[in-house]
Amino acid sequence: MGNQLGGDFLVAGGSERTERESFGICNLGTRYESQDFTWHAVASWTWDAQDETCGICRMAFDGCCPDCKLPGDDCPLIWGACNHAFHLHCILKWVNSQTPQAHCPMCRREWQFKG
Amino acid sequence: MVDFARVQKELQECNRDFEVSGIKVIPKSDANLAHLLGTIPGPLGTPYEGGSFKIDITLPDGYPFEPPKMHFATKVWHPNISSQSGAICLDILKDQWSPALTLKTALLSVQALLSAPEPDDPQDAVVAQQYLRDYPTFMGTARYWTEAFAMTSSLGVEEKVQKLVEMGFPEALVKSTLVSVNGDENMALEKLCSG
Repeated sequence: MGNQLGGDFLVAGGSERTERESFGICNLGTRYESQDFTWHAVASWTWDAQDETCGICRMAFDGCCPDCKLPGDDCPLIWGACNHAFHLHCILKWVNSQTPQAHCPMCRREWQFKG
Repeated sequence: MVDFARVQKELQECNRDFEVSGIKVIPKSDANLAHLLGTIPGPLGTPYEGGSFKIDITLPDGYPFEPPKMHFATKVWHPNISSQSGAICLDILKDQWSPALTLKTALLSVQALLSAPEPDDPQDAVVAQQYLRDYPTFMGTARYWTEAFAMTSSLGVEEKVQKLVEMGFPEALVKSTLVSVNGDENMALEKLCSG
């Protein structure tokens, strides 16, 4: 039982460990109470674009375009041959509204999706 | 559908550096962000210097994929701006529009147009002819129009009312018209004359 508890403490770490250890020593031979530690996994992600906001909708790249609710794979970024990035949904609206040839909103080069 | 989230952001950003740019954009009414009023200062070293020019802005449904519709609400004497309707001849407001442009950058372009007339691609043929054939008269007229229409009058309300009443308009009508245009006596006069 003592070993198991130690294991938990190692995982949890920090000041909690010292406190519980002294508690354990003081109460040697008495019943240990086991305690579950809660884990909070935290991760972050970001799009690797030169700018922080989409030049079309002016929303953050790490946010989503005005038509979407969730950022990430559902509202991806897309790069042009000129290396300018936009929300896929934003640049599609622009490209579809321009006939016959759309130009990059930032540099006016003929718009080609980066292969 | 106009992207109002973007418009809202644009208004905040534009008005934040008003101190530097002198360019302001405000909604014509709180209820509708598709009708806006822009203000640009006349560029220094031009006959428009010292004037404050109001520009009426209407956002089409497709904004920002379509250019904003802009025309001068302040009368101005310039080869590329209609002296009658205020229509502006500027490529970025037509086929050269890009959704990366904003109301502020478009107004900056209009301001740049005031500094750099293109008489060979006129919107107002009469003004353009004058610019090409009699430049001193053009400068004089442009200056006079700036002073007459683009400079905020320092007159008090009572004096404005008196001035308009002296022109022959009924006092009650003068007062209500002045209120409706926020005290701008030139706009009030135009409104009184037109109906």
